[in-house]
Amino acid sequence: MSAPDLRVAVGDLLLANPVLAASGTFGYGLELADLCAPEALGAVVTKGLSPAPRAGAPMPRIAETSSGMLNAIGLENIGVEAFCSDKLPELCRLGVVVVVNVFGESPRDYVHVIERCEAEDGIAAYELNVSCPNVSSGGMEFGHDPDLLRTLTSLCRRATEKPLWVKLSPNAPNLVETARAAVDGGADTLSLINTIRAMAIDPWRRRPELARTFGGLSGPAILPIALRMVHEVHRELPDVPLVGLGGIESGLDVVRFLLAGASAVQVGTATFRRPGAMVEILDELAEYCRQTGVHELSELTGALEV
Amino acid sequence: MVPRTDRSAVLIARRQLTPGTYAVRFQLEGPFSAPRPGQFVMLAIEGSDLPFWRRAYSIAGFGEGIDGPWLELMIKIVGPGTAHWRTAPMESRARILGPLGRGFPVEEATGPIAMVAGGIGLPPLLHAMAELASLGISCDLYLGAATADELIEPESCARAVAETGGRFFACTDDGSAGEEGLVTEVLGRHLDSGEAYEAIWACGPNPMLRALARLSAKRGVPAWLSMEERMACGVGVCLGCIAPAPGGEHVRVCTEGPVLPAAAIDWEAL
Repeated sequence: MSAPDLRVAVGDLLLANPVLAASGTFGYGLELADLCAPEALGAVVTKGLSPAPRAGAPMPRIAETSSGMLNAIGLENIGVEAFCSDKLPELCRLGVVVVVNVFGESPRDYVHVIERCEAEDGIAAYELNVSCPNVSSGGMEFGHDPDLLRTLTSLCRRATEKPLWVKLSPNAPNLVETARAAVDGGADTLSLINTIRAMAIDPWRRRPELARTFGGLSGPAILPIALRMVHEVHRELPDVPLVGLGGIESGLDVVRFLLAGASAVQVGTATFRRPGAMVEILDELAEYCRQTGVHELSELTGALEV
Repeated sequence: MVPRTDRSAVLIARRQLTPGTYAVRFQLEGPFSAPRPGQFVMLAIEGSDLPFWRRAYSIAGFGEGIDGPWLELMIKIVGPGTAHWRTAPMESRARILGPLGRGFPVEEATGPIAMVAGGIGLPPLLHAMAELASLGISCDLYLGAATADELIEPESCARAVAETGGRFFACTDDGSAGEEGLVTEVLGRHLDSGEAYEAIWACGPNPMLRALARLSAKRGVPAWLSMEERMACGVGVCLGCIAPAPGGEHVRVCTEGPVLPAAAIDWEAL
């Protein structure tokens, strides 16, 4: 029996399969190549890139929680220039589908990163990070205010003709309103959800576990929340392609997100626990398709029976 | 870099070392690269979602038996994950990712080397001593613990050191065995009395490593220090295990370390 066809379309972007590496969990796409071939994934979403390198947050930056973890890395990254000169050529050579996650403290920063990337070949799409809970300026503030988000998205829209994704914040006061604002501003696709603002406390030291006090919760603990949010946005904006993420650990989790309305998914925290997780997830997804007679994954998108 | 793999493994041996620590031996199911001394693995309980992250363990020993490669680790009981391996029946399954990180500079060693272990910092030094013994390089081992009870296998440590032609110095905070005082103080006294070493190789808690970094700078003896840090991934992508480096930079303990030259870390900022 032939292998099931796992190809998906995310808007105009055609991908070999729906499993993407989530930003901030797979480095710049090359670090884990020996354990999880980046070219075997639907795409790799890079660590968030800012115009200049960022040193990130103080230690401790991570904490273990029930069925999940907190992080406050503070968007440490090598900057867009080093990415384009040191990482992108090798990603292109391997045939990796690259989605650049874009971060800035001002709209000008976001546009700068996109304009720098536009000078290169081999970038498939941009994902605007307007939902990082771990930086003091930029990031989440754009994702929480629909007017700011609409303006930011439209500025970025003018800088590129490539697919423009906006990664939504689960911490926004009104998810659907911010989703609409991103689409109004020119976003082709929405990815959701980023981490949920949270904290952990060490009772013996009477201190927060993270130096920054608050961080972003990820892992299976947030999967039901992410599913609800994907489904909510899909119901309100059924024509907008969605990329779902939040705690995915298995092929069946991928199916859950597709049924809720996603066209593709991203896997993040699972990679920390099992660097080969995404390859295993793809096998499980293919097995699900074989068992249930699914010929094309688009049959599953939004096919939830309610 | 030594090729790394993520393999299933089974528990094949266990022995208690001290009231709170024990050694476990895992048989790997499939090929596994021979680790360099100082490298580590990320260990998971196969089929369990707990603990949420894998745990990092320096490798205490490695060999190729008739049933394939095996690894020995030393585990200190601190929570449910570590307690699992104290009572798990033989043949219990694990998942082992490794070998990871950078180890001690064995190729450059000429000896004699002062090995300094604080408590559960012993494993990478045992591995290093076995390798140095085969190269004919001598080392002295300074093994520190709070009390005599907590010294890990002093007899077999003494034998391992003797294999290299060196000497074994047990140190306890309360003087209940060996020399009284912190292991770093004992090493300092030996240096004062004319002991000469090519280098210090050490593993233990950060205050001990910081004291050794100061000693290294003061005496002009290069030190290679194996660090411990909280890690989610162990492979350089979570960016959770950074340590400050001079000049406001930082390193990832899992990838640039865990063994680092003392001068690579800003110990006062740590």
